[in-house]
Amino acid sequence: MLPNRSRTSVLVFLLPPLLLYCAAVLFPILQSLFLSFFSWNGISEMEFVGLQNYVRMLTADDIFWRSFFNALLYLAICLVLQLGGALVVASLLTSLRRGRELIKTLYLLPAVISTVAIAFLFVRIYSIDPVGLLNQLLHWVGLGSLERAWLSDVNTVLAAVSAPEGWRFTGLYMLIIYAALIAVPKELEEAAVLDGASKWTLFTKIRFPYIRPVWITTTIMATTYGLRGFDIPYLMTNGGPGQSSELLTTYMYKTAFTSTDFGYASTISVFIVIKCLVAVGLILFMLKRKADS
Amino acid sequence: MKKLLRAAAVAAVTALALAACGGGGTASDPSNVSPTGEIKPREISWLLSRPADGAVINIMKKLADDYAKDHPGFALNLITTPDRPSYIQKLETLAAANKLPELFDTDATPFAQELAKQGKMVDADKLLKSLDVYDDYRPGALDYQRFDDGSLYMIPFQFELEFIWYNKALFEKAGVSVPKSLDDIPAMCTALRNAGITPIAIDGQDQWPLERYVAYQPFREAGPDFVQKLKKGEASFTDEAGQKTVNWMADLGKAKCFQEGFSAQGYSDAQNQFTSGQAAMYNIGTWELPSLATDKLNPDVRDDIDFFTLPTTEGSATSANEFVSPSGIGMAVNSKTYDPLVSDFLKFALAKYPAEYAATGALSPTTNVQTAIPDNATPLYKKALETAATLGDKQAMPWDTQLDPTTNGRLQQELVLLVQGNISPEQFTKTMDDAIKQNAPKFFK
Repeated sequence: MLPNRSRTSVLVFLLPPLLLYCAAVLFPILQSLFLSFFSWNGISEMEFVGLQNYVRMLTADDIFWRSFFNALLYLAICLVLQLGGALVVASLLTSLRRGRELIKTLYLLPAVISTVAIAFLFVRIYSIDPVGLLNQLLHWVGLGSLERAWLSDVNTVLAAVSAPEGWRFTGLYMLIIYAALIAVPKELEEAAVLDGASKWTLFTKIRFPYIRPVWITTTIMATTYGLRGFDIPYLMTNGGPGQSSELLTTYMYKTAFTSTDFGYASTISVFIVIKCLVAVGLILFMLKRKADS
Repeated sequence: MKKLLRAAAVAAVTALALAACGGGGTASDPSNVSPTGEIKPREISWLLSRPADGAVINIMKKLADDYAKDHPGFALNLITTPDRPSYIQKLETLAAANKLPELFDTDATPFAQELAKQGKMVDADKLLKSLDVYDDYRPGALDYQRFDDGSLYMIPFQFELEFIWYNKALFEKAGVSVPKSLDDIPAMCTALRNAGITPIAIDGQDQWPLERYVAYQPFREAGPDFVQKLKKGEASFTDEAGQKTVNWMADLGKAKCFQEGFSAQGYSDAQNQFTSGQAAMYNIGTWELPSLATDKLNPDVRDDIDFFTLPTTEGSATSANEFVSPSGIGMAVNSKTYDPLVSDFLKFALAKYPAEYAATGALSPTTNVQTAIPDNATPLYKKALETAATLGDKQAMPWDTQLDPTTNGRLQQELVLLVQGNISPEQFTKTMDDAIKQNAPKFFK
């Protein structure tokens, strides 16, 4: 425990960043909450409308709900690709004898490429006219019937815009999980193998429980990244065709800066704040339950 | 990380709120176009949305340099954001903060009209008349900039004509000829498709090119008034002209008129499809003359390219020489910062601009100069320029400058679905009429 004098000095040093945090994060959130009760286009008089924006959002706005469910699906696809992909690749890496470093670097590369470049790259990959990589591959392996304009098909576009985001960070999480996996004590694994454990049992009973804390941290990271998804869908399809790849974030952005409906956009951003809080709460709840058990 | 996004999002809105509270600023009289007093040279800014190395910017830079020679201390700071959606965001944010620069670009949108109503822009009608250049302008070029009530607050710097460019060889191969009526186009598309040719190359990513098509049928059927009534909810998509365009768009989709996956293809993708001889038609304006009517055009198709203007329909309310002829995004003059210097510079620049601009091979918004045809032009260049002389009085307005922004966004989204066959014409009609009903009253009180 710190003596009293030193505690004061700690407080003195903590205060500026705390104030900065309040000014940069808390204040805007409160401002947004305030604005959400108004109808305002930026240059007109602000008109107080009470809960009308909230009523409209929850009951009368089909695009809002559409983009909410799209955002959830987007998050799910990103998580499966990032965490699932990372776990598989990391597990395979541990059984590799040579070339680990090379493969690690290759997998990590997408994480350092700029988002805009990734978006353009994937627009080309999904293209059908001229034929892009994906359709060409499908053609070569005899699945020509699956060829399609991935970004124009309302059934595939959401998965198609989620995949680049997932692909992009798989390498990063792979690296973290790989570091955890090689830290699993060898003697534990050897003992299990001697007892006749299969590879699968080894993984489920020894390795995975051992890396669980790292796994949870990675989950939180991936979820927070997924929830803030905006740039790749916005750049690749701008939410289209129709509202098929519209996320809450892109919808809020358009409402504010295209429709100049700042009041309603604030309402949506308040919802996004709540959505994020709920997500963090759920993860913390899971953490606590794990810690208790 | 989500906090980052959240913070960024709300911070943006907050910045606006704070700025709006702090700004206040009184606008000076927007109709006082000849301010008196001494000309005090200073740096002025023009916030614009034009190509960074385009003719307008190059010429205005040169004119500003010339002006600065006689007025030491003067400088014109050109801040361009060619990407239109980003530009509009910038403009709206600055407008909300009451921090608009001396000159700024805008279309005749409902938002701009709101600014004009609040007295934030100088009356361009009076301004041009006081500078004695009003009569030099093509009436069509000024009309394009006008609001519905006929008032004029933006000055045009361009004049363009939009044509449907086509490939004669591909038409011949498919056994089709230049359409006599808009209604012929779906059948043409089918014939072209059967011959293995992409009928129309379109930039779906930027959305306005597809929105042009929805404007065509009503312009022919009911004239230019339709969209002006539609946007206020006085006309609807269930009207005859509305239904005609909805069904026509659906027919274009059914006949596979546009390249597959068009919604994700960009401006240069579409142009490449046409100039490489894969697509038979391409709807674009005279700003592309340097790439479509000079020796820069792919030699394989150079002799096969021609253009036709917007076809009419039976009993058309507008004539064949009336189509989309925009004068581009206009320049507005901020009334708050309008002083003898801005006035004097505009007088200097607007008098010299047309000759400089016409010398680059582009159509001037004025009629007092002759456009120079570049040395490397094909005969089409001349033909395109000559069409400008035969224009009729009415012009088809692009709908994206007319509708309120929310309805416009929805229309752009729903049009893709309609053309792709994801929704029926009935669903489209209902969604759009509802969108107008909900959003129009806020903008057109």
